[in-house]
Amino acid sequence: MGALRFLLRRLAFSAALILGVSFILFALINAIGNPIQILLSETPGVSEEMIATLSRYYGLDGNFIDRYGAWLWSIVHFDFGTSIIYNQPVGELLEVYGLETLKLQLPAILLSTLIATAAGVIAAMRQHGWADFSIVSSAMLGHSLPGFLVGIVLILIFSYWLGVLPSYGAYSTRNLMMGSMVIDGLWHMVLPVAMLTVFNTATLTLLMRSSLVDVLRQDYITAAWASGLPARRVVLHHALRNAFIPQLTYLGTLFGLMLGTAPVTETVFTWPGLGALYITAIHQLDYPVIMGVTMVITVMLVVATLLTDIAYVVIDPRIRLG
Amino acid sequence: MRSIPVSAPDPSPAKAGQPGPLLAVEGLKVHFHTRDGVVRAVDGVDFQVGTGQTLGIVGESGSGKTVASLTLLRLAPPPARIVAGRVVFEGENLLLQPDKRLAEIRGRRMAMIFQNPATSLNPILSVGQQLTEILRWHTGVSRQAALDRAAELLTLVGISDPAARLRQYPHELSGGMKQRVGIARALLCEPALLLADEPTTALDVTIQAQILDLLADLRQRLSMSMVLVTHDMGVVARMADRITVMYAGRVCETADADTIFNAPQHPYTRALLESVPRIDHSYSGARRVLPSIAGRPPDLLHAPPGCRFHDRCPEAAPECRRTMPREHLVAPGHSVSCLRRGSPGEETP
Repeated sequence: MGALRFLLRRLAFSAALILGVSFILFALINAIGNPIQILLSETPGVSEEMIATLSRYYGLDGNFIDRYGAWLWSIVHFDFGTSIIYNQPVGELLEVYGLETLKLQLPAILLSTLIATAAGVIAAMRQHGWADFSIVSSAMLGHSLPGFLVGIVLILIFSYWLGVLPSYGAYSTRNLMMGSMVIDGLWHMVLPVAMLTVFNTATLTLLMRSSLVDVLRQDYITAAWASGLPARRVVLHHALRNAFIPQLTYLGTLFGLMLGTAPVTETVFTWPGLGALYITAIHQLDYPVIMGVTMVITVMLVVATLLTDIAYVVIDPRIRLG
Repeated sequence: MRSIPVSAPDPSPAKAGQPGPLLAVEGLKVHFHTRDGVVRAVDGVDFQVGTGQTLGIVGESGSGKTVASLTLLRLAPPPARIVAGRVVFEGENLLLQPDKRLAEIRGRRMAMIFQNPATSLNPILSVGQQLTEILRWHTGVSRQAALDRAAELLTLVGISDPAARLRQYPHELSGGMKQRVGIARALLCEPALLLADEPTTALDVTIQAQILDLLADLRQRLSMSMVLVTHDMGVVARMADRITVMYAGRVCETADADTIFNAPQHPYTRALLESVPRIDHSYSGARRVLPSIAGRPPDLLHAPPGCRFHDRCPEAAPECRRTMPREHLVAPGHSVSCLRRGSPGEETP
């Protein structure tokens, strides 16, 4: 009975989950109908025979199970087909656009975890004081404002009024910032990362504060004070580790659901990421892209859940493997 | 650091000249300022503990005994506020000490064991981590030395195979074992005074007896003083040299354990002792029902004027409703706070 068995069981479960999602996804896309028919039937000069030929060419004429099997076989080999709109392999699109999305999401998650932990500790230590009041009120505000509004206000202030930060895109089309691709890229990241950070930090701060307030009331914290340990040890070593346990679930969700916040951010900042790609693909019925992105979301969510479970086992000795 | 704020510290130094007792609490008042008003949880309490002595503080739930004991380390939970009094321990008034000095005393000179062993150990740190951390903080010894000392203490509190226990987490231990670890944690630096707040209440009866025996034995071996807070008359009878009886935030009576049990003066002490079931009494015939104290302890948000026990007291006189009694000596080492026993009083509004 050990870590390996636990890991294998979770991996098997994850694989089953991904398989299930792939089937549902395929069934739903299939229910939309033959995309060749939908895309070309209104086009003048396209005959029924041409549609039938094209359908046969794209493998759309077989029965459901055969087509699902063929699709599954190819995605297992990382072949997601060719985008109808971009006329490029979907795998390449996922890679290029996916990296752009990670460039925004990872720094935002990291920053918001750090800020929320610090703010949560300050608020919980001075519960009902003015610092607590200001932190909780700003977190509430950040939590209730729609994300796109924060983005638009940021653009208004920093791009339109102050004119110091770019409002759209991942790179300048001409005149790179300080002549460097890296600095230019970072420069473009500031506003979208800020928008995502505001959004994530608000919720994480409220969670952090309430779980820390709860932990600081526990007997073992009073016992730690009574042992004469300094505030640094009591708060960081005894309280924070316990208070962090409920955060793990939310952090896992943030990782897994990156693509939940990506479409809005990437639309506001015209950022060439997976979220923007996804929205465009849905509008234009670019079904290989829709299916590819959906599978990426599924895998990310499953991996994030798995990592969360492992983190729980590492941080909390009470959790038994099994 | 968590330490209760002190509103009006009494700056007078501890009595010079003759050495005082190990711990002297004088006129201690701890109030909770809540939205609904001021709760006078501890309202003018005096007691002393001599070197090597065990003081039992008894009272019902809500009598202020737990808050009083936590206040000795300035640890009562917010919004507690010390509004008056002195806590003189080893010659220094702890209520005047800065946090830094307080942290040196906590766990090193005065340590505490808690009521509920299930919640008073940190669930995600191993026993070894929790014990060595305290030792290393106070003494600065090496990790290995701290581990050796922790193992030694686990043996002292009757835990077998200490090396294995040090690697375990609290959830892997039984309740009695956890309480033993809690006791070991308190004794790491050989404190002069051990505070025990209901140390056996959360345990099975058989384990209770074991833990009490252990505490009695350790007190002897380490020549340690103890403040034992409990509602259990049986526990104080077994452990305490002196007993302070508290009711609604005030002290009713303080005397040697023998005197409290054999010649109690305060009506509340008497009623409390009568309501303890006794194995040598027959509860048949005229005494079929175990006596109990009518009514309930007062709501401390709206404490009654005069003596706080007057509305439940069989001997209450009209003056008890208006006048608050002050403690006075009825015999050497025996003080009582009751107008009907000759205590002086002060008018209350």
